[in-house]
Amino acid sequence: MIELKQVTKQYGQATVLKNITLAIDEPGIYCLLGRNGAGKTTLLKSVAGYQNITNGTIQVDGKTITTSTLDTGVSYIENFAKHFNLPVRKLLRIASEINPNYDYDFASEMMERFELDGKKKFNQLSLGMKTMVSTIICLASNKSVVLLDEPVLGFDAIMRVEFYDMLTESFQKHPRIIIVSTHIIEEIAKTIQKLIIIDKGSVRFFDTLQSVETKAFSISGLQKDVEVATKNLNIIGQDTVGGLVTKYIFDTPPEQTASLEIHPLSLQDFFIQMVGHKGGTTR
Amino acid sequence: MTAIFAIVKRLLASNKISFIITALVVLCATSSGDVVLSNGNYTWLLAVMTPFFFVFYDYTKLMHLGANKKDYFLGSLISYGILAFCISFINTVIHLLIDPVYSEKTVINLMDVCRWTENGIIIAGLQQMFFLLLVMVFLHVLLSMQPHWYGWLTDTVLVAIICIFIPIAVLRVILVRFFQIIMLNGNAFLHIGVCLLLSAALSFAGLLVLKKKTL
Repeated sequence: MIELKQVTKQYGQATVLKNITLAIDEPGIYCLLGRNGAGKTTLLKSVAGYQNITNGTIQVDGKTITTSTLDTGVSYIENFAKHFNLPVRKLLRIASEINPNYDYDFASEMMERFELDGKKKFNQLSLGMKTMVSTIICLASNKSVVLLDEPVLGFDAIMRVEFYDMLTESFQKHPRIIIVSTHIIEEIAKTIQKLIIIDKGSVRFFDTLQSVETKAFSISGLQKDVEVATKNLNIIGQDTVGGLVTKYIFDTPPEQTASLEIHPLSLQDFFIQMVGHKGGTTR
Repeated sequence: MTAIFAIVKRLLASNKISFIITALVVLCATSSGDVVLSNGNYTWLLAVMTPFFFVFYDYTKLMHLGANKKDYFLGSLISYGILAFCISFINTVIHLLIDPVYSEKTVINLMDVCRWTENGIIIAGLQQMFFLLLVMVFLHVLLSMQPHWYGWLTDTVLVAIICIFIPIAVLRVILVRFFQIIMLNGNAFLHIGVCLLLSAALSFAGLLVLKKKTL
């Protein structure tokens, strides 16, 4: 279980995480979405105990996490993670010796599936393959919390599909909290259970994907019709083109009428409406 | 324990450059004149180089492999212990077997200079081992602190101590006494005790530094 209470992180004058309170208490695959610089990496690194927060508390399985926590029980991997320049198979074996609950069979199977040459040294691998090795090590560690920071960076389309399958298989084998930060929203939708949207250091959304499917809609029509239909609803965005108004809601949709066009929002559109601000201001 | 020993294995294995440089220097170093330095002295080079690799090269990579700080800390201490034993053993063997070959010359081995051989060769080896352990732990802590302000402060304090204590006679005596206790000490019991005590204190300081370490 991960519990964040009023977590704030500042780098000098810049506040990267703003008073975040969040509880993740069920095993599942969670997707952390946010624009560049939204605070995703800072949040993940703080949960992993790789850096300290300025205010608040972070607990994982009841244990307070800071850089002073000698054994966090969290596995975190960032893209461009550095490893010993050793053959991949040897690297996976060393990781299995270092991690008490390491699933070496899973790691070997994934190495075969992704056609990773076990004899090839780490520095000779492509960026995508390096990221894959890091991800396999992280998932195979079987720690109670696994944090993957932009794991699909450098992956081609086929590798990404394989990666999502690997994620699902790993979770089914060992149910635990897996948080994946990514920018490729639609692809991961089939894999995840819950969505966390972070924007400008604050959590804007934390709920199931199902809630997005049942509550996120666009309502278009003449301004007065749309205004009436969306009165008292939770409006997350708005567009105006000529006389036509489109409002984006996260709420129970109004009844369909001839003057209104109501469409469910795709995950990507929902994300854009949640964090869509131009020039630093929210729309 | 498996994890700690896996880390020990990895730390020692990734320390190849230090081993190679030390071996080359020990094998190739030459001295001229009637008074020559024992090649065994150069084995100490390994004790000086190793902490650089443990701190700046291995730490991040081990963390990315899923190691935790506790295992890294214990693994480093065990590795220093093993290396201190090996270096001391090799220098002792060189002192016993190779130094006497140059019978016509005066061969200076640091084990003699430090007066450790006054207590017999086995005790001298032990004294050397615990002294080298202290050196490695000290360097490990000092290097670990470098990214932080208190590392720079410690560097400044150490330089200041050397600069101020050497020219002033009264302070120089204190500095000399200190080195007589931790290094140039014929009293094996006192010497080993002080080295162990300082190593333990420095290890504790190292643990505090490690707890602050970010990635």
